[in-house]
Amino acid sequence: MIKHLGIIGAGTMGAGIAQAAALSKVEVVLYDINDTILRQALERVKTDFKKGVEKGKLTSEQTTEAFGRIHPRTRLADLSHSDIVIEAVIEDLRIKKDLFKHLEADTRPTTILASNTSSLSITAIASAARYPERFVGMHFFNPVQRMKLVEIVLGQRTSPETAQRAIDCARQLGKTTVVAKDTPGFIVNRVARPFYGEALRLLDENVASVEEIDRIVRIEGGFAMGPFELMDLIGLDVNLAVTQSIHEQFFGEPRYRPHSIQKKMVESGMLGRKAGQGFYKYEKKG
Amino acid sequence: MKKTKPPRQKSKRTKSEGGAGAKVYIVGESPMVEEYAELCATKGYSVQVQWNQEPTRKPVFQSSHITCSSAIPTTSALALELTNTDLVRKRQNLDRLDRALPSTAAILSSSVTVTATEQSGWIKQKHRLVGFGVLPTLVLKPLVEVAPTVFSPAETLNVVQRFFHSVGKEMALVQDRVGMVLPRILCQIINEAAFALQEEVASPQDIDTAMKLGTNHPFGPIEWADRIGVGQVNAVLTALQNDLQEDRYRISPLLRHMAQTGEWWKRTTYFIRKD
Ligand SMILES: NC(=O)c1ccc[n+]([C@@H]2O[C@H](COP(=O)([O-])OP(=O)(O)OC[C@H]3O[C@@H](n4cnc5c(N)ncnc54)[C@H](O)[C@@H]3O)[C@@H](O)[C@H]2O)c1
Repeated sequence: MIKHLGIIGAGTMGAGIAQAAALSKVEVVLYDINDTILRQALERVKTDFKKGVEKGKLTSEQTTEAFGRIHPRTRLADLSHSDIVIEAVIEDLRIKKDLFKHLEADTRPTTILASNTSSLSITAIASAARYPERFVGMHFFNPVQRMKLVEIVLGQRTSPETAQRAIDCARQLGKTTVVAKDTPGFIVNRVARPFYGEALRLLDENVASVEEIDRIVRIEGGFAMGPFELMDLIGLDVNLAVTQSIHEQFFGEPRYRPHSIQKKMVESGMLGRKAGQGFYKYEKKG
Repeated sequence: MKKTKPPRQKSKRTKSEGGAGAKVYIVGESPMVEEYAELCATKGYSVQVQWNQEPTRKPVFQSSHITCSSAIPTTSALALELTNTDLVRKRQNLDRLDRALPSTAAILSSSVTVTATEQSGWIKQKHRLVGFGVLPTLVLKPLVEVAPTVFSPAETLNVVQRFFHSVGKEMALVQDRVGMVLPRILCQIINEAAFALQEEVASPQDIDTAMKLGTNHPFGPIEWADRIGVGQVNAVLTALQNDLQEDRYRISPLLRHMAQTGEWWKRTTYFIRKD
């Protein structure tokens, strides 16, 4: 059982994981570089809790209690009592490696060190570590509150005990786990590539229009959303970045090659829903 | 033999409400033949079926309006050719249909692994053939991809449109290209999953779980391959590879192996679980 969870990075993912953990009665130390960021993160958690209560999914006692379990901190040494530390800072190998180096000095050797990275290699993050066997990937999905899945990513030197403790931790947070080897894109981001890649090629080859492809995939395929609607939701910039990263990590394997349609749209600022325009037009909010 | 009295052709108005006893001849591969036969029969068509190869387990049809016979009824206004894997056989089937059917009859032929245009070159009366998308289990969906050719006149398309309407399907007209839309996307996802499986990135169960929970796919790719049939998936991928001539459409050796042995699950779990 995890009693103390440390989280590094109070961004979209870090705050989401903190929220899920606190609701599962885990004490959370949430670390980020300054108080303003931490305050904003707690504000987001509070808003989300409020929505949960309004919808009748959570009680106000539950959320008050949970909120009290999240302890914002700006000193890394405050994570030293954690059973497990999940890192969710910006996607930068140098920053992550550096943080873990400090953390290794501050924590017990039995503390599990996990990274929520989407596209970096767990093996590479653990490469400078003294105890690489206690490093593991815990890949949550956005939004953490709603997405049930966590990919447990095994680095080259991750020990079976570490993997098991990461699995137990994710389950304690109410998640379903799958285990993946440390390979580009793990499972989901990799196997989902053709959903977008083939759709873009079909469009480029004029086999059918954006609307028709989406309609076919939804009605004939039974998908909740067509590939273009989904790219608009994810953001074309984010989608392109994931594709590019996997393509590079596989040394240019043509199955992952990005498409010029994506690039052009990103360059023109047609990033999808958040920009009001992607493959479809969206009414601007407010 | 069960036989329903075919009521006289109803007026145009009521046609959309079902087959009204009109005859449909269906030939091709199992289980698509059974799936389409049931669909047509429940919508009031009088259906005659023939398989390229009798299914190992003889299907028990729900409807009594389905008969099995190799003789092509010369009064059929419509025939469906549902072969994706054995293209030599497909060509023979189409040739037989073209000779036996009245020249007013339309042929709807699966164009997932070979374009409708190429197929219309195999027969004399090119105008009567229209391509459409068929893969096992997708038959039951309320939308169908239809690929007319340069030879398809409006009359043929009208027959096709009325038919799909009568069996409760909306049409999506797509360009006549190998793989069409959904089969191409689906089979490439399955191919990618097969590569991941082959590289032992994860177990088949975990790949399915991940895709359903992580990105909301209605089925996992391995599950999907089982539903559609690995042989069919392999046929689609092979056709894409030949048509597009790109490395991107290289087929996972594991998937090809599964298609040859028909042992997707057992073999994969055997490979993955060494313990
Ligand atoms: N957003 C997603 O959809 C998603 C999904 C799965 C995984 N991830 C991964 O999660 C991680 C975080 O992503 P995010 O979307 O939450 O990013 P974000 O930009 O919302 O948050 C990053 C946070 O890290 C903090 N940070 C930066 N440098 C730091 C440092 N040196 N020390 C402490 N904190 C620092 C920032 O202040 C910020 O609050 C990335 O590795 C990303 O790949 C993201």
